[in-house]
Amino acid sequence: MKLLKDKVAKLSFVALLAASSAAMLYTPTAAAHGEKSQAAFMRMRTIHWFDLNWSKEEVKVNDTMTVTGKFLVFAGWPETVDKPDIAFLNVGIPGPVFIRAGSWIGGQLVPRSVSLELGETYEFKVLLKARRPGDWHVHSMMNVKGGGPIIGPGKWTTITGSMKDFVNPVTTLTGETINLETYNLENTYFWHTLWYAIGLAWLAYWVRKPMFIPRSIAVESGKANTLITNTDRQVGIGFIVGTIALVAMTMVSTNEKYPVTTPLQAGLLRGMKPYEMPARTVTVKVEDATYRVPGRAMQMTLKVTNNGDSAVRLGEFNTASVRFLDPAVLEDTTGYPDDLLAEEGLTVSDNSPLKPGQTRTIQVTASDAAWEVYRLADLIYDPDSRFAGLLFFFDENGKRQMITVDAPLIPVFI
Amino acid sequence: MSASQSAVRSRAEAVKVSRTFDWMILFTLFFVVLGGYHIHYMLTGGDWDFWTDWKDRRLWVTVAPIVSITFPAAVQACLWYRYRLPYGAVVCILGLLLGEWVNRYLNFWGWTYFPVNFVFPSQLIPGAIALDVIMMLGGSMTLTAVAGGMAWGLLFYPGNWPVMAPLHVPVEYNGMMMTLADLQGYHYVRTGTPEYIRMVEKGTLRTFGKDVAPVSAFFSGFVSIIIYFLWHFFGRWFASTAFVDGENV
Ligand SMILES: [Cu+2]
Repeated sequence: MKLLKDKVAKLSFVALLAASSAAMLYTPTAAAHGEKSQAAFMRMRTIHWFDLNWSKEEVKVNDTMTVTGKFLVFAGWPETVDKPDIAFLNVGIPGPVFIRAGSWIGGQLVPRSVSLELGETYEFKVLLKARRPGDWHVHSMMNVKGGGPIIGPGKWTTITGSMKDFVNPVTTLTGETINLETYNLENTYFWHTLWYAIGLAWLAYWVRKPMFIPRSIAVESGKANTLITNTDRQVGIGFIVGTIALVAMTMVSTNEKYPVTTPLQAGLLRGMKPYEMPARTVTVKVEDATYRVPGRAMQMTLKVTNNGDSAVRLGEFNTASVRFLDPAVLEDTTGYPDDLLAEEGLTVSDNSPLKPGQTRTIQVTASDAAWEVYRLADLIYDPDSRFAGLLFFFDENGKRQMITVDAPLIPVFI
Repeated sequence: MSASQSAVRSRAEAVKVSRTFDWMILFTLFFVVLGGYHIHYMLTGGDWDFWTDWKDRRLWVTVAPIVSITFPAAVQACLWYRYRLPYGAVVCILGLLLGEWVNRYLNFWGWTYFPVNFVFPSQLIPGAIALDVIMMLGGSMTLTAVAGGMAWGLLFYPGNWPVMAPLHVPVEYNGMMMTLADLQGYHYVRTGTPEYIRMVEKGTLRTFGKDVAPVSAFFSGFVSIIIYFLWHFFGRWFASTAFVDGENV
């Protein structure tokens, strides 16, 4: 007897543990720090983010900031990743610390998924309204169906104030202004509590009488039919009729209270307007490219031809959101995140202006700890060891043009 | 008289022990069901139950009842045939909803700060009461499967409507129309749940104009009937007893 009791008690405890862990463990993905663990080739050969700008570094609760920039949908998109026929412009933040008040691609609002074309550049903007105080890493992000999240550069942003003060006013088409942060909350609690109480009442009706052992004995001795009394039946009828009546009545009263409702809106947005990049007058051929593991440096031999009418210099190499600059040509004034910016990371064997009509072969070295920190060097262990990136050339008037490179990469271990 | 033959010495004591068992078994049942059912429901109903912008007129209405009738059917089988206790469905739903609410409140809101008005669970009590009462009144598995399963599917959408309707009020947002539920999904950023994985308003029920919810509910009721049979037999099998020798207990 005691043994049995112990067993039941033990079982109950195990059940409690199982139940609570099931209930407690699941949390929707909120962290945004997968950026470094994502395969290097994914970051180098899918979406190239550039011209990123975070409008503020510190923002008060209820105030807004924007993340703007451009992205190139790389023409040499890897075979192993689904093409961005269905993609969603997201923002990589740890859960709703900001709300996304708006997001646009080429001026079009994109609350839903979009279709993107390989080889095109798009301009984007995300408007964020601060909700929860703290220091947050704010990334641009593109989710690609079948490809997963492609995370862009992140910058630390501080939200100050108190979440208690956060409001989210929205005006409906029925002319009402509501606070979406708390809207419908009391109504939800009310109905859930009411129905839970009705369910409990049904359970309580049965629990007040002796249950398992005597009823089991009765069933086994063939007296099952005596176990449900007439009162039980009447109470049951009361419950079912009451339930159906309550559901029907509340359905009618709800429709009276909310005469205008529409179905959820869904569907793919097509025809995103690409951004017109300045015409390319420079051509670049990658002769070879090596990555020196000990020196954390990538070296490329490039054959550059200037077909334009103004002399050009190479100012920047951008890959996987890491920017290598030649300070003699370009300095960053946008407040780009430090860890992704190698201000003097680009060395060019001869970076004197390349005159119109000229061709020159140059050695370009991009070196920075970021190769390691952002695990881009892992590229050499990828099945398809290619690198890709953006080269930015500047002419005499400071006009910029963007050239993409995509070539095999040979690692050098000694 | 020797007391060594029995663990209880009087009728009063027997009643007391029996009552203690009642509470222990109910407690265990409640939490075992809560744990198992909760995991099952999260894996099968998942996002449809988590987010208001998944609670549409087609797929939510169809999927949620079908995947949730499982445990109620199985537990009913056990409680009714062995004890003639007609609360199997309700006890399951009470367990499930408690688990869901703990999860939504502590994790979705407390840990990741999604507003509760965006992540509350679906209401399932009305259907559970119908299942239990039909089982009690008819005493028949077939009747419960057919009438109860259908009621389960049909009561789901209207049972949730008082909570959902306010979120289906339309807004104009930067030149696009959406419902407040869509707007919640847009505003409260989910990094791991991009918009395209949302399965809403898809399907072939286009010939019914705007009255798709009742059609979906009927369809859901039909499938619920089949799932009820299936899980009812799981429950029967699970509740069958193979007696072991007294000494081994
Ligand atoms: Cu980050």
